[in-house]
Amino acid sequence: MSAPKVAFFDLACCEGCQLQVANLGEELLDLLGHIEVVEFRELMSEKWDGEYDLAIIEGSVTNVEAEEKVKEIRSRSKMVMAYGACAVNGGINGIKNKTPMEENGRIVYGDRFKDYPSMPTKAVGDVIDVDYIVPGCPIYPPEFLKVLKSALAGLEYVIPDHAVCVECRFNENECMYEKGINCMGPITRAGCNSWCLNNGNRCYGCRGLLSNPNIHGARDVMKKYDLDPDVILKSIDMYNAAAGGKDE
Amino acid sequence: MKDVLLKKELFNGFVEALMNSYKVAAPTRRGDKSFAFNFITDPAEVCLDHIPTILPPKKYFLPQHETLLEYNTTEGQNMQAFVEIEPMVILGVHSCDIAGIQCLNHVFMDRPKDYHYQARHDKILLIGYECLRKCDQYASCGLMQTHTPTGGYDIFMTDMGDHYYFSINTFDGKSLVQLFDGFELADTAAEKTLKKLRSDKKKLFRNETDVSLAEIPSIFEWGFDSHVWDRTAEKCLSCGNCTNVCPTCYCFDVNDEPELNLAKGRRVRVWDSCQNETFAIIAGGENFRPKRAQRTRHRFFRKFKYPVMRYGKFFCTGCGRCSRQCMASINLKETISNLKRSWGEI
Repeated sequence: MSAPKVAFFDLACCEGCQLQVANLGEELLDLLGHIEVVEFRELMSEKWDGEYDLAIIEGSVTNVEAEEKVKEIRSRSKMVMAYGACAVNGGINGIKNKTPMEENGRIVYGDRFKDYPSMPTKAVGDVIDVDYIVPGCPIYPPEFLKVLKSALAGLEYVIPDHAVCVECRFNENECMYEKGINCMGPITRAGCNSWCLNNGNRCYGCRGLLSNPNIHGARDVMKKYDLDPDVILKSIDMYNAAAGGKDE
Repeated sequence: MKDVLLKKELFNGFVEALMNSYKVAAPTRRGDKSFAFNFITDPAEVCLDHIPTILPPKKYFLPQHETLLEYNTTEGQNMQAFVEIEPMVILGVHSCDIAGIQCLNHVFMDRPKDYHYQARHDKILLIGYECLRKCDQYASCGLMQTHTPTGGYDIFMTDMGDHYYFSINTFDGKSLVQLFDGFELADTAAEKTLKKLRSDKKKLFRNETDVSLAEIPSIFEWGFDSHVWDRTAEKCLSCGNCTNVCPTCYCFDVNDEPELNLAKGRRVRVWDSCQNETFAIIAGGENFRPKRAQRTRHRFFRKFKYPVMRYGKFFCTGCGRCSRQCMASINLKETISNLKRSWGEI
């Protein structure tokens, strides 16, 4: 049996998630023993014109070309994985959805903005069917490997729908709120092993909101710690504006 | 077994003697106001006077992630049970946390036994440390009557000014004491002092609530439909802090983690929480407790009713961690009090 043919693609993004894959180190070498990478712009110049067993897409859809590109990838792939916040829920690119497209165009390209047509940011899953997702900005490499293994085995992978706090307590971190620092952990999906918190940072909500976050409760918590919920909850937009993240 | 005394200036020497024979875990400082059990490399790291650590010592009996077995499917379905535990000592365990371990023992040593738990349990020696004053406003060890130990330890230490009193409870405890030369036998005077100290403690560790232990079963008999749970749920973020830090919460999930070759891998047990929305989802997508109020209520019933029916024991140790860690200020003592008061208001 030949190794599954895997291709990496990127749309509107910083390519930071590809960098995480390239930085896997020894695990990348191990990985290359089990898959055949047929396209990966950041690492190699070869292209492939056949069918992909697995297409791994980074970045969000922000223009017609990208929309056509993902549709073409879908038609040539047995399985598709969207990875990184941009691909999974629109990510930082989604911020532009908060202002009219014409205004965005003028800010970036000035009077010639019509030469560079753009459209509201969409996650890959808004355009095509996606079989696997790996949220996060950037992706958490161990989770990427877990999802990839599930894809190779043809098994479902469910991203946790519980709070980042769960993993943060597993790691026995002091709660950010106890230090008077705001944190999106209680309303953000886990799966990153509270990566930022373990390193002394707060949670920015890059993995997207829980499917049923208690926003009213979160507001009360912020008020209790003398933090301004209106300002803080706006920061959800940094990664989730295209996903309809509400600043409520 | 004869109890012994240890001069305080010799305590670090005893810890070093322990470290020569065992891995030693002890409460260490984690932040300004917080502590955590960690394996120590220097006796100076030990903080005997700590408020309850972020996670209780249950993490050594039931680790957050624990490999249960390794599998290999290249030839049939080979599975090999996996237990990785070295003999260890946990030093400085408060009586509330010893009570927590006693609860876990009931659950995991009940039939069918959990052999992974048993294997860890058999390799862990406990040296308790007596609280002589209340740690903070969250604890309810007065209500739960867990401020003074009732077994479950190998050695229990009590601060007696310039000495520590070592109550020795097991042969393992005795063998620990034999690792170090500096002990002297506890005389009648020391035994008397300990007795006096314990009887004085009763005045300090009064019931922190307007609820008595004896009336808890009846409160939870009718409290199921109380409006208290709706009010609790409005605040609750379902972050799972309360269950993860609870010394008696033991629910877990089991996952298979394949290696890249997909043929080999390991089966891992991970802590789970009834507060997580997905916890009670079963095949077909049905969720037994989709509402936050159902989940917050379930946690309390798993402390004050169901284990009483099953084991004749409350599964709250009064350590106060759930209230201390709750960013939404859901307080266990207040909740029980409110539940009592809500009688007739339903």
